[in-house]
Amino acid sequence: MASNLFQSRSWGKFTRNRFAVVSLGVILAYLLVAVASFVGVITLEDTQVRVLPDRTRGFLESSDLDKRSRDAQWFVERTSLRVQRAELAPESYERLMSELALRERRVADVPLERMAELIERAESQLDDLYDALDDRDEVLDEILFIDLELRRLGDSAEDAALASEMRSEREALLARVSDVDAAAETRIAAVEATILEIHPYPGGLGGLWYGVRTFLGSDAQGRSISMKAFYSIRIAFQVGLVVAVVCVIIGTVLGAAAGFFGGWVDYFVMYLVSVLSSIPTLVLLGVLVYMFFGHPLFDNPAERPGLALVPVYCAMCLTFWVSTCRVIRGEVMKIKNLEYVQAATSIGFGRVYILFKHVIPNTAHLMFINLSLLFIGAIKSEVILSFLGLGVKGQPSWGVMISQAKDDISVMFFWEVVTASVLMFGLVLAFNILSDALQDAFDPKHVS
Amino acid sequence: MALIEVRNLVKHFPVRGGVLNRVVGKVHAVNGVSFDVQRGETVGIVGESGCGKSTLGKTIIRLIDPTEGSIKYDDKEITTLGHGGMMRIRRKMQIIFQDPYSSLNPRMTVRGLLREAIKFHDVVPANQVDDYITELIRTVGMRPDAADKFPHEFSGGQRQRLGIARALSVKPEFIVADEPVSALDVSIQAQVLNLMMDLKEKLGLTLVFISHDLKVVEHFCDRVLVMYLGHIVEELPTRDLHLRAKHPYTRALLGANPIDDPDDRRPLTVLQGDVPSPFSPPPGCPFQTRCPRVHDRCRVEMPPLVTREAGVNGEAETERVACWAVEVDEQEKLSAGAGAR
Repeated sequence: MASNLFQSRSWGKFTRNRFAVVSLGVILAYLLVAVASFVGVITLEDTQVRVLPDRTRGFLESSDLDKRSRDAQWFVERTSLRVQRAELAPESYERLMSELALRERRVADVPLERMAELIERAESQLDDLYDALDDRDEVLDEILFIDLELRRLGDSAEDAALASEMRSEREALLARVSDVDAAAETRIAAVEATILEIHPYPGGLGGLWYGVRTFLGSDAQGRSISMKAFYSIRIAFQVGLVVAVVCVIIGTVLGAAAGFFGGWVDYFVMYLVSVLSSIPTLVLLGVLVYMFFGHPLFDNPAERPGLALVPVYCAMCLTFWVSTCRVIRGEVMKIKNLEYVQAATSIGFGRVYILFKHVIPNTAHLMFINLSLLFIGAIKSEVILSFLGLGVKGQPSWGVMISQAKDDISVMFFWEVVTASVLMFGLVLAFNILSDALQDAFDPKHVS
Repeated sequence: MALIEVRNLVKHFPVRGGVLNRVVGKVHAVNGVSFDVQRGETVGIVGESGCGKSTLGKTIIRLIDPTEGSIKYDDKEITTLGHGGMMRIRRKMQIIFQDPYSSLNPRMTVRGLLREAIKFHDVVPANQVDDYITELIRTVGMRPDAADKFPHEFSGGQRQRLGIARALSVKPEFIVADEPVSALDVSIQAQVLNLMMDLKEKLGLTLVFISHDLKVVEHFCDRVLVMYLGHIVEELPTRDLHLRAKHPYTRALLGANPIDDPDDRRPLTVLQGDVPSPFSPPPGCPFQTRCPRVHDRCRVEMPPLVTREAGVNGEAETERVACWAVEVDEQEKLSAGAGAR
């Protein structure tokens, strides 16, 4: 079967399309990640546990001094708090230190005395850092003050003299900026070195895995952006596949029956279609979400995160099949008058057999297009709904990520929004290209 | 006894319109048609586009349910049969379609579509199906490797052969050929016609051959029914057709055929105007609007289909004509004959 596929004309046509092969590769990569989270390589817990200080930038961008010093302070404070408690009750030292672990990145395995020493050193280095930062702030404040004064001064001779004096003073201050910056830089480097001693990076496989967790930075609660984004791929595939398959099956069967049998079947189906397409999906989803509100099975994201998606599936499956149904109905109305359908009738086949054997297979190209359109559409809708807080609950999703990170944008932190958007964009684009190429390749009448 | 007996067959298609989608009228596609087809005979049905010949052909094998009238196949009434009863009869009557491009399911291989029909009717035991398919494909003059190809890989003529193979696959006795060659090139037409003639001889088929080309029908059929606006206006043997034809419409059809003799310069009788709308046919003779021999009686009274002896050279054959002018001619001929005697 498989070897047949790889030798077929369609496969050859498909592999000649370079975009299609690239997009297939991209989708396979997505699929791999989705499978990884299905089999438990990436767990829900990975997306919920702190791995870094808040809003750490990803690998492409280095943080500024203020951010670095805040992070250093955060590291030192949380460690020193536990060291103080451990000094009161030394038997709980190990437990307290294990609480500090950031997944693979654990606190150095040293005795309490050594740890206390390190903390003391870090705190004094931190104090030095604060002094340096104060100096730096003072210089920067003075420059700012002079700039404001200069703007206030007029054109009189007196003012001009004052202005030139101030300018020379500003020059001197500017020369000092690089000095105070360098001083602050060396001091923060010292603190960071000590922190690394307390909290070394893990080596080996653990280090690699920690690198995967941190290479896209962390969100406002210090959780790994990459893990959240990867786990969202699984959610996207889940929603996309369930909704697309269910909708295409419902839409094809109802649409084909309506077009083929006509009469009251057609009236009934088209009535259903008209009614459903006049209800906005968002409103229906809101109703369904409130219907399931507080339900022990379907609104229990903490214990049953999978079932918490059921309202989302229901709302999308209820409304999305209508577009497929309309298209299939029209095509079937065309096909049922073709001569090969009459030929099948003249052989003596039953109506239902003809519908499933001769009519529906000839709508396969439309089913294919609708499958990919609905897959993409469902993913996009899921993102929008989750953004609005109506969709995925208790699990990460690209929509949830974007909605959580929308406040970060005001502090110029784009990592979470961009990661979620780029991953969604990549999947949707690759899927569009792939479905086009597959449609071309598997259409028996299309010759290239 | 005739294999097919059609009596007063009527097919009206309802026309819906208006806001409430009510039936506002009907298209009179077939209007009280009666004829017989003898076993082993080939009957042609000719007429111009829209005269109801395809509807008639499809109604005979009940692809379309008739509005009124009776169709007897082998002395068995088939218009009242349910699905189960019809299924057994369907094996005996098949159809070959006009358009070879839409008559084969594009998603099925040739083998698939033949096997489906063969298995459905258990034409041959399951272990012989593949051999039988190969044989069928050879029978219609194609190579056996055609079996595993899809319809789009064939030309129009080849597809029409496959259409014939499908019709033959259930070993029918009776085949309706609905303009089987009109969509093909002239050279291919001859091939397909010859193939059909050979098969008819070999398998002893009974054929109803629908065409708008009188020349093909003359060549191919034993008898011809000339249809105009849902009525049979003349029925006659095809031998010496141009000598026998009496109805003005048949004569006009004959006149429209190109003549293969440059010295034979008969005046052309060209029909004026169009066929009246089958939505509202005129009272009286349907051909009155274009008939060169129309007179008052034609406008009010429908001429009956009168059966006569038509023996040219003393053969015992009958023909049927529905025309008042021909009626008058015959009366005169009779009285002239009586006067001479």
